[in-house]
Amino acid sequence: MKERSRIVGLIYYASSQAAPATAWRPPMDIYRTKNGWLLKFELAGVELEDIHVYAHERTLTVSGVRRDTVLEPGASYYSMEIPYNRFERAVELPCDLEAAHLEAECRNGILLIRVITE
Amino acid sequence: MSLPTDPKPAPSAGASDDAPLMMSLPVLPIKNTALFPHLLMPLSVGRPASIAAVESALASEGKEILVIAQRDASIESPVQSDLYTYGTKAVVRKMSRGENTIELLVLGVERVMVLKLDQTDPYLVARVRLAPLPEDTGTEVEALTRSVMDLAAKAVDLAQPQAPVDLGQLIAGEQRPIRLVHLLASMFSLDLEKEQTLLEAQTCADALRLLHSYLGHEVQVLELRNKIATEARSEMSKEQREYLLRQQMRAIQQELGERNPEQAEVDLLAERLGKVDMPEEVRKEAGRELARLERLPSAAPDYHVIRTYLEYVIELPWRISTADHLEIAHARQVLDEDHFALKEVKQRILEQLGVLKLNPKAKAPILCFVGPPGTGKTSLGHSIARSMGRKFERFSLGGMHDEAELRGHRRTYIGAMPGRLIQAIRRAAANNPVIMLDEVDKLGRDFRGDPASALLEVLDPEQNNSFRDNYLDLPFDLSKVFFITTANTLDTIPRPLLDRMEVIRLPGYIEEEKIEIARRYLIPRQLTGSGLTAEQFAISPDALQTLIRRYTREAGLRRLERALGKVARKAALRFAEGSTEPITIRVEDLIDYLGPEPFTPEEMRKKLPPGVAPGLAWTESGGEVLYIEASLLPEGKGLTLTGQLGEVMQESVKAAQTYVWAHAATLGVDPSVFAKTGVHIHFPAGAVPKDGPSAGITAAVALASLYTGNPARSDTAMTGEITLTGLVLPIGGVKEKVLAARRAGIRRIVLPRANGKDLRDLPEEIRPEIEFILVDRIEQVLEAAIPAVAEQLSPVAA
Repeated sequence: MKERSRIVGLIYYASSQAAPATAWRPPMDIYRTKNGWLLKFELAGVELEDIHVYAHERTLTVSGVRRDTVLEPGASYYSMEIPYNRFERAVELPCDLEAAHLEAECRNGILLIRVITE
Repeated sequence: MSLPTDPKPAPSAGASDDAPLMMSLPVLPIKNTALFPHLLMPLSVGRPASIAAVESALASEGKEILVIAQRDASIESPVQSDLYTYGTKAVVRKMSRGENTIELLVLGVERVMVLKLDQTDPYLVARVRLAPLPEDTGTEVEALTRSVMDLAAKAVDLAQPQAPVDLGQLIAGEQRPIRLVHLLASMFSLDLEKEQTLLEAQTCADALRLLHSYLGHEVQVLELRNKIATEARSEMSKEQREYLLRQQMRAIQQELGERNPEQAEVDLLAERLGKVDMPEEVRKEAGRELARLERLPSAAPDYHVIRTYLEYVIELPWRISTADHLEIAHARQVLDEDHFALKEVKQRILEQLGVLKLNPKAKAPILCFVGPPGTGKTSLGHSIARSMGRKFERFSLGGMHDEAELRGHRRTYIGAMPGRLIQAIRRAAANNPVIMLDEVDKLGRDFRGDPASALLEVLDPEQNNSFRDNYLDLPFDLSKVFFITTANTLDTIPRPLLDRMEVIRLPGYIEEEKIEIARRYLIPRQLTGSGLTAEQFAISPDALQTLIRRYTREAGLRRLERALGKVARKAALRFAEGSTEPITIRVEDLIDYLGPEPFTPEEMRKKLPPGVAPGLAWTESGGEVLYIEASLLPEGKGLTLTGQLGEVMQESVKAAQTYVWAHAATLGVDPSVFAKTGVHIHFPAGAVPKDGPSAGITAAVALASLYTGNPARSDTAMTGEITLTGLVLPIGGVKEKVLAARRAGIRRIVLPRANGKDLRDLPEEIRPEIEFILVDRIEQVLEAAIPAVAEQLSPVAA
C-alpha cells in the first residue's frame, strides 16, 4: 500500500497502484535537517537484504518483508503483536529525490535515510 | 540492501519478486462471512483443525493462511466440497490465546482459487493459485461506481438517521472500484452468499452490478423498516398528545376555578347519597362504589356502569312509604264507585284495611285474582290502590321466561338492568305500593331460568323483607308491598306459588250484573269516548239485554263494551252528519248498528230426539250448555267419539257407556243390540277442544235415551262425573254452568250432591228460579232426566 504524505497537514491518500497487497506499514519519523531531510523507519527484525528503498521523482518508497525467523522448534505462539510478512511505506518530499543525495544506514533495527539536497 | 534510484518502477515489495503464483497454505474455514482482500477481520478460532491450521501458519515466516468461507455454517469438519472455491490469502496480524480459542486479527491480502486439498489431517492444507482482483475500468464502471455510491449513501442515511456517518470520508479515498465494492459489502454486512459472489466476481462491472442490486434491496428493506417505525411513533405520539391536552385542560380548569366534570359528578352523587335515608349496609356499599368511581377516568367503561348503579341506588325508596288511608268508609266508597258487585273481593280488601288499622306492621297479603278475561281484575287493582291511598304499579308476567327479567342481571353484563320488580318500586317511589303481577298463569319457563321459582321468594312474606336483585346486590324490603297477581286459570300456576297466594275468584258476571255495569259504567264511558251526551243517546233495557245475550258470549265485559262502543260511534256519526234528534236504540235497531246476531244463543232445544242430552260445560269465558248427541251405527262396531275430546273426557264417556251396557237389563234394553250395532257420540261444537270428566252423567243419559228410545227432558241439564258403579262425583265451575243454563232458559239442573255447597255462591236472585236436583247415583239422574225411564226404574229406586 503506497501512501503519499504531505508534510503539512499529514493527509494520507490510499494508493490506486496495482501492487501485491502488503501486510503492514512500518512506523516512520521525518526530520528536517540543516541540509535536507532525515527519515527514520522502524524495521526491527527485518534482514538487510529484505529491505528495498526506491526513489522516484519526489517519492521515496521503502518496502520489504519481515520474516519470523526466531522460531524454536516445539515452541508455539501465545500472543502475537508484531506484524510480519510484506511491508511498504512511501513518502513524498518537497524536493526532487533523483537529484538529491541519499544515504542509508541501519542502526539497532532502525533504518535511517538521509536526504541531502544542498 | 540496495538503494536503486533509476526511474523505472521496480517491484515495490521485496517478497513479491519471487512470489510464486501457486502455493500451499493452511486453511482456516470461516462461517457466515467472507474475508475480502485489504480488509481486516477479527476471528475467534475454536475448532481443533482450525487451531492446528493457525498454529501452523504462525510457525511460518510469513504467517500466511487461507481464509475461506464454508457453504454451510453447521458443518464442523468441512471437506473440500463444503468450502467455496475462492478464498482469500491472509496474514495474521495479531493473535492471542483465550481459554479454548485463539483470537486472531487477519488481514486479507490476495484473492486465491483453491486447486485441491493437499492435506486434511490434522488440518487442511490447500494448494491454491493466486487470482488477482479484476482491474477493468471504463465509463460503465465509472457510472456504476457512482450510482453504487449514491445508493450506499442513501442506505447509510436510512440505517442511522440519528447519527449520520460521513460515507464520503470513509470511502472517498478509495479509487479502485473493486476495493470499494469489498468495503461496502463488509460495511452493510450482506449475507455470506452475496459476499462470496462479490468476492468471486470476474470483472469490476459485474461486482458493481451485483452490489447495486443488493444495496437496492437493502434500501427497500430499510425504507420499510423506517416506515413501520414512523407509523408506530406517530400512533404513540397521538395518544401522548391527547394525554397532554387533557392535562392542559385540567390545568386550565383549575386556573379558572372550575372543577373537572368528573369530580363534579362524583361530588354531586356523594351529596345526593348523603341526603337519602337508607339502611347502613346499603350506604356502606354505595360509599365503596363511589370511591371506586372517583378513581376511574370517565373514559373507562366501568365508569358509566358504576354511575348508573349509584343513581339507581340513590333513587330507590329505601325508607320512603306513602301513608295509608285507613278509613274503612272511604275505602268502601271508592271500591263501590269503581266496581259493581264483586262483594267477596271488596270484603277482603276492607278486612285487610281493618287489620292494618289495628296493626300497622301487619304483613301485606298476596292476593291472586282468578277469573275469565274482562272481569275487571286489573281495574280492581287500581281501585284497591286508590282506596288505600297507595301507589299502583303493574307489569305482566305473561310469556316471561327469563328469571333475570324479574330479578335483574348481574352488573358484569353489558346493559345490565335491575329486574321488573325493582324497576316498579323505583317508579312507584315508595316501598309500599300495590304491585299487580298480571297473567301469573302464563309464566314461561325454559333453559334461561324459571321465573316462577324466582317469584316464590318475592311472594313469600317470610323471605321478601330482604329481596336481593341481581343488579343491586343489596337487600330490599318488599314486605310492605301489597302484591296482587291475576290469572285466568289456576291450573297452570305452579303449586308452591299458588300456596303462597290467597285466591279470590272473579267468576264472571250474570246478566243482571252486566246490565247494571253497562248502565253505570260502560255506557257513560262510551258516550264520553264518542263525544255524545246522555240526552242524545240511550239504549232501551230490552236492547241492552239483547245486546248482551245475542251479541256477546263471555263471562267478562270486553265484548259488551266493544259492542256498545260500536253502537255509540255509529250514533255519533249521525250527529256529526247533522242529525239533531236524540237516538234511543231499540232491539230492532241493533241489526242496523251491529249487523246480524253473531251468536245463536245456546237456547233450550224445545224437543229432544232420543239419544240427545243437555250437558253443562265450563270454559274460561264462562259456562255453556252443550247438547250431547248419540247415534246408533247399524252394522257398526264399538264406540266412536268426536268433537275434539281430551283423554279424560273420552275415558269418562267410556265409563258411562260401560255403565249403560252393564245395566242394560235394568233399563229394559236388549243386550243383543250392543253386539249388532256400534254407537257414535258427538259433542258439538265440533271445533272447540273439550276435556274433563264432568260430562260423564250426561253421556250416560244420552246413551240410555238412545238405547231405550225414550227422549230426555229438554228442560233439564246435568253435569257430574260418573264411576263404573254409577256413583256421581262432584265437579267444578258450578256457578258458571248454572248461569249458562239459566241464560239458555233451562230451569232444572241435576248436580252431584257434593256440589250442593256451591249453590251458596249463586246470586240470590237466581236461586229461586231454578230447580236443583242433587244426586248421589246415576239412577237418580236417569230418573230426573228421562221421564220414561223414571217409570221403569221407580221400583228399583224405591
